[in-house]
Amino acid sequence: MISLTSEQTRVVNLPLCRAFIEGPAGSGKTTAAIERLNALLQSGVPGHTIMIMVPQRTLGIPYYRALHQFQGNGSEVTVSTFSGLAQRMVGLFWPLIARDAGFAHPEQSPTFLTLENAQYFMASLVRPLLDQGFFQTVKVERARLYSQILDNLNKAALAGFPHTEIAERLKSSWSGAPEQLHVYDDVQVCVNQFREYCLQHNLLDFSLQIEVFSRYLWKTLLCREYLLASYRHWIVDNVEEDIPLAHDFLLEVLPQADSALVIMDTDAGFRIFLGADPESAARLASVCDTDVRFEQYSAAPQVMRDLAIHMRDSVERKESRHPVVRASFSNFREVVEPPEKSLRFFPQMLDWTVEKVVTLVNQGVPPGEIAILAPILSDALRFSLADRLERHQIPYRTHRPSRALNDEPAAQCLLTLARLAHPHWEMLPEKQDLQKALLLAIEDLDWARAHLLIEVCYRRQNGIMTLQPFGEKIQMDMRERITHRIAERYQILFEWLQAYAEHPVNELDFFFSRLFDEVLSRPGFGFHTRLDAAQVTANLIESVQKFRRAVQHRLGDMPLGKEYLLLVQEGVISALYLMNWQPSEQNAVFIAPAHTFLMNNYIVDYQFWLDIGAKTWYERIFQPLTHPIVLSRRWEPARKWTAEEEIKLNRNSLYRISLGLLRRCRKKVFIAYSDLNEAGFEQRGLLLKALFRVLINGGRRD
Amino acid sequence: MTEVRLRLSQQSILNYQGGWMGISAVPGAGKTFTLSRLAANLILSGGLDDDQEVLIVTLVNAAVDNFASRIASFIHEAGAIPGMGYTVRTLHGLANDIVRECPELAGLSENYRILDEGESERILMEIARLWIRSHMDWVEGYLKPDLSPRDVEQVMREHVFGLISNLARNAIRYCKDQGITPQRLRTELDRLPMPLALAEVACELYTEYQKALQYRVAVDFDDLIYLAYSILEQDEVFLEQLRYRWPYILEDEAQDSSRLQEEILKKLAGSPGNWVRVGDPNQAIYETFTTASPEFLKSFRKLPGVIPRELPESGRSSPDIIRLANLLICWSQTLDEEDVLKNGLDLPLIQPTQPDDPKPNPPDVPRGITLFMKELEDQQEFEIVVKSLKRWLEDENNQNRTVAVLVPRNQRAMDFVEFLNRYQIPVVDTLLKTTTQTRSAARVLKKVLEWLASPTSAIKLSELYKTWRSARAITADEKPTIERVAKWIQRQSLLEKWVFPFPGEDPLDDEKLLSTDPTLVEECSHFRELLRRWSMAVVLPIDQLILTLAQDLFTAPADLAVAHKLAGALDILKSMNPGWQLKDYVDELDKIVKNERRFAGFSKDDLNFNPDDYKGKVVVATMHKAKGLEWDRVYLMSVNNYDFPAGDPEDTYIAEDWFIRDHLNLTAELLEQLRILFSRDEYEWYHEGIATLRARRDYARERLRLLYVGITRARQELVITWNTGRKGRYHAARALMALEELWRQNAQPTC
Repeated sequence: MISLTSEQTRVVNLPLCRAFIEGPAGSGKTTAAIERLNALLQSGVPGHTIMIMVPQRTLGIPYYRALHQFQGNGSEVTVSTFSGLAQRMVGLFWPLIARDAGFAHPEQSPTFLTLENAQYFMASLVRPLLDQGFFQTVKVERARLYSQILDNLNKAALAGFPHTEIAERLKSSWSGAPEQLHVYDDVQVCVNQFREYCLQHNLLDFSLQIEVFSRYLWKTLLCREYLLASYRHWIVDNVEEDIPLAHDFLLEVLPQADSALVIMDTDAGFRIFLGADPESAARLASVCDTDVRFEQYSAAPQVMRDLAIHMRDSVERKESRHPVVRASFSNFREVVEPPEKSLRFFPQMLDWTVEKVVTLVNQGVPPGEIAILAPILSDALRFSLADRLERHQIPYRTHRPSRALNDEPAAQCLLTLARLAHPHWEMLPEKQDLQKALLLAIEDLDWARAHLLIEVCYRRQNGIMTLQPFGEKIQMDMRERITHRIAERYQILFEWLQAYAEHPVNELDFFFSRLFDEVLSRPGFGFHTRLDAAQVTANLIESVQKFRRAVQHRLGDMPLGKEYLLLVQEGVISALYLMNWQPSEQNAVFIAPAHTFLMNNYIVDYQFWLDIGAKTWYERIFQPLTHPIVLSRRWEPARKWTAEEEIKLNRNSLYRISLGLLRRCRKKVFIAYSDLNEAGFEQRGLLLKALFRVLINGGRRD
Repeated sequence: MTEVRLRLSQQSILNYQGGWMGISAVPGAGKTFTLSRLAANLILSGGLDDDQEVLIVTLVNAAVDNFASRIASFIHEAGAIPGMGYTVRTLHGLANDIVRECPELAGLSENYRILDEGESERILMEIARLWIRSHMDWVEGYLKPDLSPRDVEQVMREHVFGLISNLARNAIRYCKDQGITPQRLRTELDRLPMPLALAEVACELYTEYQKALQYRVAVDFDDLIYLAYSILEQDEVFLEQLRYRWPYILEDEAQDSSRLQEEILKKLAGSPGNWVRVGDPNQAIYETFTTASPEFLKSFRKLPGVIPRELPESGRSSPDIIRLANLLICWSQTLDEEDVLKNGLDLPLIQPTQPDDPKPNPPDVPRGITLFMKELEDQQEFEIVVKSLKRWLEDENNQNRTVAVLVPRNQRAMDFVEFLNRYQIPVVDTLLKTTTQTRSAARVLKKVLEWLASPTSAIKLSELYKTWRSARAITADEKPTIERVAKWIQRQSLLEKWVFPFPGEDPLDDEKLLSTDPTLVEECSHFRELLRRWSMAVVLPIDQLILTLAQDLFTAPADLAVAHKLAGALDILKSMNPGWQLKDYVDELDKIVKNERRFAGFSKDDLNFNPDDYKGKVVVATMHKAKGLEWDRVYLMSVNNYDFPAGDPEDTYIAEDWFIRDHLNLTAELLEQLRILFSRDEYEWYHEGIATLRARRDYARERLRLLYVGITRARQELVITWNTGRKGRYHAARALMALEELWRQNAQPTC
């Protein structure tokens, strides 16, 4: 039994009521809510009447973990996001609203689209428009173009305005060159076509799920009564990270519930670019009858909290004048550690970071108490850090696997073999790609013998690259060099592919699962002992399956498997569905973008802030086809978005992020920076300046 | 700051408080010193808020570090913390900063890429190739009518792609500088009653080029500058914020400022604002086919309200060198009015410093100036200079002195480097493109990729071994071992049995070898471990492969940083060319290794080349690259009427291709068509040939300035030679002949 603070005890022992809990990160609110959940279950409240609502799935993890340990009373507690709930309700009450919502085939069941599948349909619709000259003045990769158009739909749904107004809103706030206005018109055409297509084919992307639920379903008595009767007790955590639409919904639901716990982090709102709205969240206090403020306890020490205050002042430029000639003594040096000497190059910064981590671990700090945080974690940066930590045998985990699906060697191997097995798709692999695939597919095969093998067995025949058997035609000395053992394994793979070619299947997932099951996972083949490769295969199969199921109403008549391979190549299908092939070692150094760390709600002893000169610490990702703020509910249509707004937003983001991080650090923040960034440019962003200033002011206020 | 004695001219600049100031400086006047000191003064005076900076804009990357370190040292001397309060950028760097802050306004996503010269060139060549296929007759229309069929065939085979891509490059640059989009160009062309043939071509190529950029989500350097300008033009609020951030703008090398650079800085400075421009109109050498012009600085200095200042004293060169440079100025001043070189160089003359100056002029040395007027063939010139260099290097008195050979063009410089290598004369070619250190890091990576692309080649592996091993510090004792091991590897015809042996077939297990050469076995075992690791990493994406290799290959921070940057660059190439295989990356690295592709690394030379680091070695560079640098002894080669024409009838011009009719300079003609097309004067019309003549005049004047830059690189000794060219057609440059005569007469500069 953990010991609780008086505030926490108060929450646990509240009578059945609606309570609004507010306090900074690390003050123990979620812990209190979990204990309260336990108390409810212990008191005989049936689990299935309890709803735990969080803005994103990772924030539900502490509840899942706790529920796993609680002795429940037989029925399951629901943990869901608002959109998850919306999707479930739409699925359940589909016949009730499908016609009203404008779907062409209400009698048929709906298909819920994942982001990738939605991108697929968007891509199919937009590609011909691009050929007609749409988006000519915009420079953005295809995959991002599609996702930004979709983003517009999602934002309209979350803010609650009709999707037909997207272009008008974007245009009316635009203050730049007039050519951009055409781009927004192009966006509107795509958005309209996509929505029309979805309605025609019963497809529900994220935006339609939200719209159908909030505009049609939630107004029906049946759905309301069902929801209100099903869930009598609500625990709503991190409400500041949720969208106003969810708040609207809760404003109606909570007054009719038997009990509710609404938890809000002060000074948070990190998902503001995804529609989070802390001000809207604060409205929920009005339907609660008790307020509890968590002020007594903080996971972060006092000096860290002081630092946070100074950072806020520094970011907001409350003090000013001349850091250059200031003294360099600092009270904050005990909780902030910069490099001892200036580091010139980016890799030196990484070395310094890992050296410090090694020292900490050698001093007995558990790796799980260390987080390495960067503003943006590119694959190369993640790889560089992971590689260095591995060399010191320090366990680490990252927020996602170190490579995107199409960069993952095992997936590459499967995709290459798929190309080879379907020559009629006219996507035959290059020699070297096949060499890599065989290196992974055949156990004990090395790079040199793989090269020899390809030279003799993958040759041009009638103008087409063709895989050949390892037969008599191959000269004896070459057969000896490749070795009998390798040849035998190659021949098995070859024969399998030959047999498959006689009866190919259209479904790529069947191909992958058969290839894995009948060859690659067998002794003598590369995936036999590699659990990670098996996991990648499973992920790939799942990805194809989801794709296949979703695209029954697809455009064109290209074989589905070929289309999938093309989409992987185009980057439309990339890193999703890849949640868990890395073993989730808990006591490991956590490498993540700062935002991800915040949204995971961890508290650690030591944080490393990488590349603090980078502007990406506070600048939003620029998206030429959409705008997170202009398309939010709070933005008055026709108001111009200016550079001033941008700067204000930047400072605000930086303040929130530094505050959020400092409140989640118990002992020390290591600030890492090099004079030159990865590309060799100097970067001196606001975070570096603000920290610099706080440190030379020494924590003393004038 | 420690007290240093300043010249009155420097002091009057350092008294600057604010406003617009235009400074004209002579070579060696200490521009960098004065400007850095001014920046430090402004920072230390306490007038800046903590989020304000002095912005220093320079012409080339190499100067950025020089400024930054000087300012840092001045601030450090004053006991303050260096590193804050200033930012030094090239124009491209500045433009990139501006665009990065609001890419939306420029229609870009935040991950836009900047195309390097190599990729841009590749695209242009590809577009040219495609275009030519369907426009053979167009080219024929511009060929000389008397070309033999063989000549025509040669032109079509060897020259046409270069010609078309060159036209495209210049037209695109011009259009971007003027803010002309392909669509606007098309519209204007469609309005014309009769076609402008060259502009039509430019329009087609420009359209294709922009499409290629869009496909790659990339912008080129010219886009960047125009986009920065248009952002400043569009967004007043953002502009105000930048003005607050950079309350002082100091601009170096302002004589090479382009129209857009001036516009951007003018906007950033604001009026009234604080803008200090320093330059030497006599050193404007980047004007051909650009909108850069020394006239911008000259007119700026004449604007009402601008504080004009001069830095006329120079302590760089001996009195003789100064006299020679001044004679050249006076000669150009006193030419006939109709002479194209008339006033090609401007006053003031260079003044030597006072004897008590902190940087007094070095004394004259006997025979310090040699104007070698003898007629020499191409190769003879090389031989004469090599002989002279050998003599000079062998003289003990010169051990601690510096020497450079400066030539007008890169190719000639590369040829000369090869020549020096043949004579085993120590040579430094870092200034030509990519520095030696960066190239050697790229070389090691290239060798590994090369072997991975052909893993059964014992020759490639042996080369890789040698490169890898030599990249580490080796002792004289180790050399024979390395040679032995390399040979042993080369003999392994069945490489897989050594690198990846199955049980029982490892040649390193051979008892005899173990007992006769244990060092070889140990060396090979270690190397083999690396090879295995690298070959397992081959399945990784290219950037991760490079990073993995770098961990094993390099220890020096600068090398690791180069590898990191190369990894990023190759990753971009991968996304632009998804089908690329190892051999394509090898080719790319090879271009850097062979110095065909510029790749800015992180070595000291990349950031700040210092001739004094190369005493006793011969630095070979182009005259352009030598700007801002100085050596004790300087050779200027190829000073003939081809590289330094003077508008005389017998002169030929590099921009006038031998196969084009009527000696037309097609690039000049094309740019003229574009200019006319957008001219507001409705009576102005295009007349073929006029632009060619004007281009000759501009080029001749620019080359005169280049000669002046070359001369003023020398501290004490100067040798000038010329050659007759491959076909023996050229004579000494007219300016050189005049100088020789004046020098012989012991003339004094009076103008």
